[in-house]
Amino acid sequence: MHEYSVVAELVEALLPQLEEHAGEVTAVFLKKGDLRILSERALKNAFEIVAQGTRLERATLEIESIPARVACQSCSYEGPAGTLDDDGFHFAVPILACPECGSRVEIRAGRELSVDRVSLQTAVDEGA
Amino acid sequence: MHDVRFSGEEILARQLKLADTNYRRLKEKNVRAISVLGAIGSGKTTLIERLIARVSARGLSTGTIAADSAGDDDHTRFLACNVASVNVNTQDECHLDAATVARALDDLPLDTLDLVFIENVGNLICPADFPLGTNTEIVIISVTEGDDMVRKHPKIFAQTDLVVVNKIDLAGAVGVDPQRIVSDYARLNPHGTAVLTDALHERGIDELARTLELECTNTPW
Repeated sequence: MHEYSVVAELVEALLPQLEEHAGEVTAVFLKKGDLRILSERALKNAFEIVAQGTRLERATLEIESIPARVACQSCSYEGPAGTLDDDGFHFAVPILACPECGSRVEIRAGRELSVDRVSLQTAVDEGA
Repeated sequence: MHDVRFSGEEILARQLKLADTNYRRLKEKNVRAISVLGAIGSGKTTLIERLIARVSARGLSTGTIAADSAGDDDHTRFLACNVASVNVNTQDECHLDAATVARALDDLPLDTLDLVFIENVGNLICPADFPLGTNTEIVIISVTEGDDMVRKHPKIFAQTDLVVVNKIDLAGAVGVDPQRIVSDYARLNPHGTAVLTDALHERGIDELARTLELECTNTPW
């Protein structure tokens, strides 16, 4: 259940950055790479609890998945990681080998865990 | 309603920075760090004891960081191997983080060490997202966890470069085929290395030490 630790870092890092922005925070949009071992449900549950008593209290946590992208170290392939679509896995697992030639790859995307944007509602918004 | 955009700074940026600080500090001291991850009872402590014996025989000096949610059982075992050890109780936290490792490194005599083993809390999943600043990571599984262990955690093993399949002496008793674990892992990570061990009875330890390049040179890393 390390999602709590992750969300605690998120809230701690985000609150000071929001100080210069007035309004009620209604949503926090997160980008989460598919290579991360993090449960979306656990992140949302943790957010509800960790955000209590802060400006994020009434915000929802919205999570966008970022597919893994790789660059081959041997051929010129750069693009989506290949996946292993095994019935037993119930989801496609990104494989860190070149889908074209099988060589080693560098990860170009898929390890992200970042705040993309935050929605705020101010009195001006309500009046408009 | 209006949106405030962020530049995409990682949420775990603080952790990544701390891990990088640990990495640089160890590199500056010429100390190699190997972290060992695995479920409770997979054999992390025994495996580290065996590797300590190999590097001690080469005249190299080892330190350990023993992390558990409570107690000092692993720490006591490492001290019995005549190495410098630091006990870390995470108090129910399910993983080590870079800040905790940094404090533990403060208590190790880094100037005199060649190698540090960091034994994470017994837990396969949670440590995966928390870099510690080590050069090498070993994920250990025991055949007693079942031969579907890799299949049940595909995303972890797809990103793990070195897997130790331990307690192979018990495979028959628990009806497990270690080769199934190895072939599942090879499908998930075609460039990964799997080593079969029975750490308790010293089987496979030489191969693991060679894989880790603990034995191949006369000078430390």
